[in-house]
Formats: sequence, C-alpha cells, structure tokens
Amino acid sequence: MEKRENAIPTIVDSPEALAAKMAAMREAQKEFAAYTQEQVDKIFRAAAMAANHSRIPLAKMAVEETGMGIVEDKVIKNHYAAEYIYNAYRNEKTCGVIEENKAYGTKVIAEPLGLIAAVIPTTNPTSTAIFKTLISLKTRNAIIISPHPRAKKSTIEAAKIVLEAAVKAGAPENIIGWIDVPSLELTNDVMKNADVILATGGPGMVKAAYSSGKPALGVGAGNTPVIIDDSADIKMAVSSIIHSKTFDNGMICASEQSVTVLKGIYNEVKKEFADRGCYFLQGDELDKVRKTILVNGALNAKIVGQSAYTIAKLAGVTVPETTKILIGEVESVDISEEFAHEKLSPVLAMYKAEDFEDALVKAERLVADGGYGHTSSLYINTAETEKMAKHAAAMKTCRIVINTPSSHGGIGDLYNFNVAPSLTLGCGSWGGNSVSQNVGIKHLLNYKTVAERRENMLWFRTPEKVYFKRGCMPVALDELGTVMGKKKAFIVTDTFLYKNGYTKPIEEKLDAMGIQHTCFYNVAPDPTLGCAKEGTAAMNAFQPDCIIALGGGSAMDAAKIMWVMYEHPDVNFYDLAMDFMDIRKRIYTFPKMGEKAYFVAIPTSAGTGSEVTPFAIITDENSGVKYPLADYELMPNMAIVDADNMMNAPKGLTSASGIDVLTHAFEAYVSIMATDYTDGMALKAIKNVFHYLPAAYEKGAADPIAREKMADAACMAGMAFANAFLGINHSLAHKLGAFHHLPHGVANALVLTEVMRFNAAHVPTKMGTFSQYQYPHALERYVEIAHYMGIVGKDDQDTFEKLIQKVEELKATIGIKKTIKDYGVDEKYFLDTLDDMVEQAFDDQCTGANPRYPLMKEMKEIYLKAYYGADVNNDKL
Amino acid sequence: MNVTEKDILVKRDNKIVYRVGDETVKVFAETHPKANIFNEALNQARVETTGLPIPAVKRVTNVNGKWAVAVEYIEGKTLEEIMRKDPENMQKYMEQFVDIQMEIHSKRVPLLNRLKDKLVRQINATELDATTRYELMTRLDGMPKHLKLCHGDFVPSNVVIRPDGTYAILDWPHATQGNASADAANTYLMFALEDEKTAKLYLDIFSKKTDTAKQYIQQWMPIVAAAWLAKCKPEQKEFLMQWTDVIEFQ
Repeated sequence: MEKRENAIPTIVDSPEALAAKMAAMREAQKEFAAYTQEQVDKIFRAAAMAANHSRIPLAKMAVEETGMGIVEDKVIKNHYAAEYIYNAYRNEKTCGVIEENKAYGTKVIAEPLGLIAAVIPTTNPTSTAIFKTLISLKTRNAIIISPHPRAKKSTIEAAKIVLEAAVKAGAPENIIGWIDVPSLELTNDVMKNADVILATGGPGMVKAAYSSGKPALGVGAGNTPVIIDDSADIKMAVSSIIHSKTFDNGMICASEQSVTVLKGIYNEVKKEFADRGCYFLQGDELDKVRKTILVNGALNAKIVGQSAYTIAKLAGVTVPETTKILIGEVESVDISEEFAHEKLSPVLAMYKAEDFEDALVKAERLVADGGYGHTSSLYINTAETEKMAKHAAAMKTCRIVINTPSSHGGIGDLYNFNVAPSLTLGCGSWGGNSVSQNVGIKHLLNYKTVAERRENMLWFRTPEKVYFKRGCMPVALDELGTVMGKKKAFIVTDTFLYKNGYTKPIEEKLDAMGIQHTCFYNVAPDPTLGCAKEGTAAMNAFQPDCIIALGGGSAMDAAKIMWVMYEHPDVNFYDLAMDFMDIRKRIYTFPKMGEKAYFVAIPTSAGTGSEVTPFAIITDENSGVKYPLADYELMPNMAIVDADNMMNAPKGLTSASGIDVLTHAFEAYVSIMATDYTDGMALKAIKNVFHYLPAAYEKGAADPIAREKMADAACMAGMAFANAFLGINHSLAHKLGAFHHLPHGVANALVLTEVMRFNAAHVPTKMGTFSQYQYPHALERYVEIAHYMGIVGKDDQDTFEKLIQKVEELKATIGIKKTIKDYGVDEKYFLDTLDDMVEQAFDDQCTGANPRYPLMKEMKEIYLKAYYGADVNNDKL
Repeated sequence: MNVTEKDILVKRDNKIVYRVGDETVKVFAETHPKANIFNEALNQARVETTGLPIPAVKRVTNVNGKWAVAVEYIEGKTLEEIMRKDPENMQKYMEQFVDIQMEIHSKRVPLLNRLKDKLVRQINATELDATTRYELMTRLDGMPKHLKLCHGDFVPSNVVIRPDGTYAILDWPHATQGNASADAANTYLMFALEDEKTAKLYLDIFSKKTDTAKQYIQQWMPIVAAAWLAKCKPEQKEFLMQWTDVIEFQ
C-alpha cells in the first residue's frame, strides 16, 4: 500500500509521471463512483464554498501571471463559476436512479464518465478551472487539468483549492489532478488516455481533441457578430455592447467582435458609442491597428486581454487613457480584413448595412470567418418577430442572444434564466463538437436506461350495435327511423341478391318509416376500385345519411370503400392501403368516418364476418393488385345478423364460406395478439362450425337452426379476428386465390392443416415478435381448441393429430377436395408462379400476427405440400 | 582533387563552392557535421529519382582534409540574377518560379525526412519561451500532414536558367516531404526578410496558381518563422519574433 502511494508523483512533468498520476486518479474515481448523493452533495458544496472564498486572490494571481484582463472582472468570473454553478446543480440528482417510471417499467441510472481531461485556456484560467472541477465533483468523475503554460500557476492553484476542500469533505485523494509542467506532448497524452475531453480553447485544441479519438465536449472559437436593427433601443444596445466587450478586456469567447448597424440609424449609433467613451479610428490609425491586431492573419498575442489604450499605444495611435473600445469602421467581411476576425480584446469592427437582409448576409459571413457554432447577437424590438425568425434561421451559431451583452448572455443565467450557466460553450457539429449546448452536468454522465418488459395495451373493438337472431332485421332497421331519424338510405348489394328480392324486406321497412332509398346493385365478386367509384358517384348524387350493405364479403367490402370515398372525397386511396406493423403505430392516420352516413352491414352468407371487422379488400382492376384496407374507422356502426337472409345459400357457398369461418377462428386463436376476449369468441365459433356446418351444407334451409348457428359463428369469428388478427393461412390463401382463381374459403381450406402443423412446431425457425407472445406455444393453443371440442388424445401431439383429422373429416364432409392439384391448377403454371406467390404471401398484411414468423422457403414448402398432398416426395420440396 | 582560389564560385560561412571542370564542388568547413554532408548527398540522390531537373550527385569526397560533395555543374544564370537585372518582367519570372515550385510539390519521395518532424526539432531548438513554443506546437499539431516533396529553401537563387531556357533546381540539403503550403510559407518568409512587396507578389501568384487560400498558407507562417529563428542572422531576430508571437482564436 505504502509502495503504491509512493509511486504517485508529486510533480507531473513527464509522460511516465503523467501515466502514474492518471492511474492513481482512476483508482480514486472508482472509489468516488460508489459515493451516495448525500456524500457527493456535501463535497460539491464544500468545494464551491472554498472556490468562492478564494475568488479575489485567484483573480489577482491570474492577471499577474498572464498579464491579461482585469482583476475586478475576473473576480466576477470566479464568483460566477462557484456560486452560479453550485446554485444551478445543488438539487440535481446525479447518483444512482435519477428517474423512474413505474407504469412503463423504466429507470434511468446516472453513472460517471470516468476520467475527464480538461483543457483550460489562458483567457479564463481560474474561473474555468473552478467550473470544470465543480461539475466533475458533482458527477463523481475524476478530472485532470492540462493548463496553458501562460496560466499554469493560477490554473493549478484554483484546482488545488477545490481539491483540498473536496478531500476535506470526504472526496478521495487524487480525484482532481493536473499537469505541473505543461507541454503539447503531455496534453495529447492526457487527451488520449482520458475517457472524455472537456476542452475550452481554439481550433488547434479542436483538432487535437478530435484526433485523440476520444469524445470531445465544447471546443470552438467564436466570432460573435452583432446586428443592431433600426427598431432597437440604441442607448441600451450600445451600452450593452460596451459592457460586454470591455468585460475582462474582451476575453470571453462569446464577446462581440463586430457590430453591423442598419444605415438609417448608423450615425446615431456611432454618436452614442463615441459619447460613451469609444474611440473611432481615423485615417491611417485604422491601418496601424490592423497591423497590430493580426500578424500574417494570426492574432497578435500582445493585444489579447489588453486595454484599448494599451493596444492603441502598441499601434502607435494616441487615444485617451480611459478609452473603452477601439472601433474600426470597415466594409469588408472577408477574412482578408483584419477587423473581421476575433480579437479577444476591446477592439470592434463596425459595418453599415443597407437593410436587414444585408446585415444578415454580413453576419453570416462573419460567423463563417471563424465563429461557426458559437454565438451571435441581435438588438431589435422583440415585436419584430419575422426579422428575429429570419436571423435565427440564418445564424449557424448555437447561441443567439437578443438585446443582451453577448459575453454575459452566452454563459447563461445572468441576463437570461433558462440557459445553463457554463464556461464551456458547445459549438455543435459546426464547431467540431459533440455538444451544441452550454456544457453542464448532464454532459458528464452516462445514463443507463433499465427497461422492464411490458405488454402492449390491447383492445376489443366491435360495432356499436350487433343485432342477431333469425328474423331480427326489420326490428333492427326500425332504429334508423324511430331512434336516429334517418332520411335517406343507400343500399349496396350485388345483382343476384337484388334480382332475387333480397332487398325487398329492407325497402319495405324503409318505405314504412318514410326513409327515402336507392339501391346500387352492381357489385361483382372481388369488387374493383372502378365499381367502388361508380357506387360513390351514385352516393354523391343521392347524399344518403345512411348506408346499408347487404351481401357477402364483396358487397360489404365495396360498400365500406364507397363509404370512405363518399365521406372523404380528397383521400388518396393508396395512402389508405399502406401496410403497417402495428395498427396503432401506422404512418397513415385514417380519416374519421361516420360524419355523413351511418353504416349498417347485413351479411347474407356465414363467412367473412365483414359486418363486424375493420377490413375491406378491393382490387385495382387496372393493375390487378388487391389492396387490403384496415382501420377501426372502417368498422360498421351496426351489424344485423339475421339467418333469414342466408337460408337459401347454395351448397358451394355454404361450404367455402363455412370453412373460411373456421380458419378465421383458428387463426385468431393462435395469433400472437390473441386475448381472453377474442379466445371466447373464437372457441365458440369453432364449436358451432364443427357442429352445424355439415347440416347447413347438407340440409340448407331445411335446418334453420344450423343456418343460424353458422351465422353466429361467422360473426363471432369476425369479432375475434377483428381484434386478434389472422396469420399466414390467410396470407397463403389470399395469393393462392388471386393467382389461381380459387374461392377464398377453398383456398383457406387447402392450406389449413399444413399451416396448423407448421405453427405447432415446438422449435420454430423464428417466432412472432410481440411482447405478449412469450414463447412458442401454438401447439398448446391448438390442443386447447381440441379439448374444448371434446377431443382428447394420449398426449398433446396425439390430441393435435386428432384435431387435424377432425378438420380433414369436416373438409371431406362439405365437399372440399384434398389438394390444389385436385382443383385443376396446372402443375407447370403452379410451379412457374410459385416463387412470386411465395414472396407476395410473405409480404401479406396477415403474416405479422402469425405465431411462427415464416421464412419464404417454409411458405413455399407449405404450398407444395398443399399442391401435391402431404405425402409429396421430398425431391419436390 | 585540387581546387584553387580562381575556381571559387561562391563563399559562405560554412562552405566554399568551386567549379572544377563540369562539376560543382562544395567544400564544407570542418565544423560542419559529417552526417549533414552525407545527408545532403543522399537527399539529392533521392530527389534525382523523381526526374526533376537537378544536378546529379557525383560523389562525396575529401578535399584537403575537408568533406566535400561534387555535383554536376549547371551552366546558366540564377533566376535571382535575372529578376534583378530585368525587374520590368518580375511578374513573368515570378510565375515561372511558382510553376517550378509546383512541379517540385507534385513529386513524392517516400524516403525523405518528414517536414513536420524537422519543424518540431527546430522549434524546440529555439530560445522561445514555453508559452510561445506550446502555442506553436499546438498549431503545428493541428496542421494537415501531407507527403509532398518540399525543397525547404526554395528561393530564386536556387533556380538556374540555362542558355537554352531550360532550368535546374539547386541545393537540396533541406528537402523533406510534407505540406506544400508550409514550403510556400517558407519561401514567402525568405522574400519578406528582404522585401515585402516581392513577398506579396509571390504569395498572390502561389495562392492563385495552386488555388490555395492565403489564410491557409498564413497559418504556417508563425511555425516557419520560429524554425528560422534557430539559424537566423541577429538583425532578423526581431522580425521573426514578431511573426511567432501569436495566439489562436478562441
């Protein structure tokens, strides 16, 4: 132990000593990192108090050592660095958990960055050292200071005072360190071996900082341009500028370097400057000062932080000793003009601008000349909001101060009270920095975010009214007249239903209630955009306040699209059709529906469930592309499930739509978004299908109970998948139907058992992504269905096989063939289009909710098995 | 080898240059480090490989117990003489001078010393105070590091125009690879020590022809001025000091 302490050098003057010092500081920081907020705050307070006590001796020392600046102003800077920084951060949490949100299960934990390398400039040595050491202590970081040789004594003294007070208050020894004999080599070593660089200085430091490969905070030169608009308060503007520019003889990097005055007030501003003790350089005096302030384009070290009188004397110009600022009236804003540069002294350029635009152009250029990212200033009547906005937009500076001395305004909390007090001003990417704000404690912490797994909020949404029971239709429709007082109803249906009198009972009821009505009956299967547009035109002509969709999925889907186009004629159809990952986070916001018309859906087949779903599919007849629309705005307002409308459905339709119902319920039950709410609907729908579909298929109208149970099943399955969504069974069926013109229900049935096997895999290649879906459990879900049906095997796998068998039996009973091939799909054509079909099926909106996330080759395998039958040869796969 | 008074071409503090037949022989003072002499010959031999028109090195030899380098003799007048005699056409000569310098900068000689290393050594060898050296080192450290052939003492007296109008570039002991703008700043400084107007003309033409911002070349000036401090004449010291005492914008 003793040996190691001996190894810590007392003087850091070589790379070896520096390495040993930094190693000791890292040890100290490790210890410090475990301190509590209470311990840290005690240290922070003690250090701030000590720095504050020493503000006068430190100010004197800095002026004496550097020969620059004004003692009384440096006292203010030291005072500010101690008091304002303490005040700003005294109550901030910087240790451990600083933020917690129990509902979302997130916590933010603050951790120190480690060892900070601080580069301290000659212009503000003691105040910057106080500032940086204090914010490092508050954030449990260690800080090693690389002083400038010109200011090393005072910089080190300031750091030493802070360190001693901190250690006395309990901080580890070596938590603050410094280089005693500064050199470029050691500065570079410090930067390379620290965790982060907190640098203040010029472009040389910027380059050194970023070539060290470590993140750098706040370095960059300023060249603050001021614009005085003709609306400004001239007296306030001029005195503010003088106050700021003479502060510590102009050494704050945010200090004004040029003043651009609009020509209308130029003389008045000039007179005010002269009255307040500024000296306007005349004739050859201008050139003399030019040659003095810059040497070959570089700032003459001799003028920095000197008084106006001293600088004038150096230039061979005689001015009164009390002169506040030397002002050069110049025209060029190019860097070839000496006055256009940063001067770090009470020397100011003054430009005359034609108008505000001209002033902006000049200021922009001056910022580009050497002040990118730093500070700009504007004096203006703040009612001139348009000009202020223009100025803010044009300035590539991270601080834009209005009616404010820029030295004081830039460092914050003196003339504005929502800018962090700081002596290290970030210049953003424009200035080559990683920060664009005033550097404070938040930049010296790493924030760990701990996020617990949370499940999404879910929902169960259905139409406002779902009316059911055989013969209920006229009773339900009664509400349109007696309760809602609707005046005009627009019926949408297909030709077959219209010609066979299905709309009659509706029309009679409407007539009885005195509701005007018309009927659009031109909907064909797989409705097209053209058909929807035709219907919309009729709607626009008729202006209904109520739409009644009567039919199977096609009529209801077409009616939903017409409804959208009727309510929102300007809407872009292709935006509506945009796919989404999560219906709540979709990019497109669906327009509000129901403002013009109430939507009633009356199904005539037990299948799609469209009467209770937020979905509609429409085909663009020009491109052949099918657009699935999905949004809860598309949900009908009222669904009327009356089996009387379904009694005479033909066998083929009963079979295809019936198996569609089963697929809806199966997919909703195993979906990653399945909930207890949808499960109940899905299970009951499945049971109804197994029990009543054979009878409905065989006996039709002769078994009205079977018809009714199937109608309920379709509607319940619709509600289940309206909320839990579907899966790849539908993805595959959509494209199979589209490519090979198979009825939707049949296409579903052909892949159904293969998809079940695919989903039931215990070790799927990939599982679906949804917080609620914790592990692959589709097999267990299928087994739950089986159990509900009363199917019990010797184990889960066996039960699952029995369920599959039951599905196959049902398919056979209702006349569904075994394979795609059996439906006459040409083998060559099938294989030629297979890859296209696979890719499109993969991209289908339904794929996302499937419990097993499919690879395209896996979907292809399912298609092949469905084409050839399950016993397909391996070489076909 | 025998050399006589009548063969003397030029006399300098540390060397006497003779013409012996078709050779120029530089005989160095005994105080001149042996390594520098071999380095000069080596630099020149390396630059020869670029194909630039320069006198070929013949040998490093010994003349009356002193180290000497023999190189090919080039017949003609230096550009300095030509400029002095015909100031009317200064612009034209200066353009030619810059063209030749650009031709040099277009070459690469990977085995030469690095200019930056040399500048670091020279700055450290000055009597400048720690603060100024720190500022200069920081500045140098931030300058872009290039690998262009730099003559290091490119002045009109080192360019000979032969009677047929072709040219040759003499004196390569200071050759390095580095940033061309540093080399230009050095040339500017050499001019400025004599006459500011010629220096300005040079900088204008160099900056225009190479499409380099003057400010960029100027950033090198405190550095090259400091490097010269180590070997300047006493009367130049104040001038050079003024150039070096600058501070970075912040």
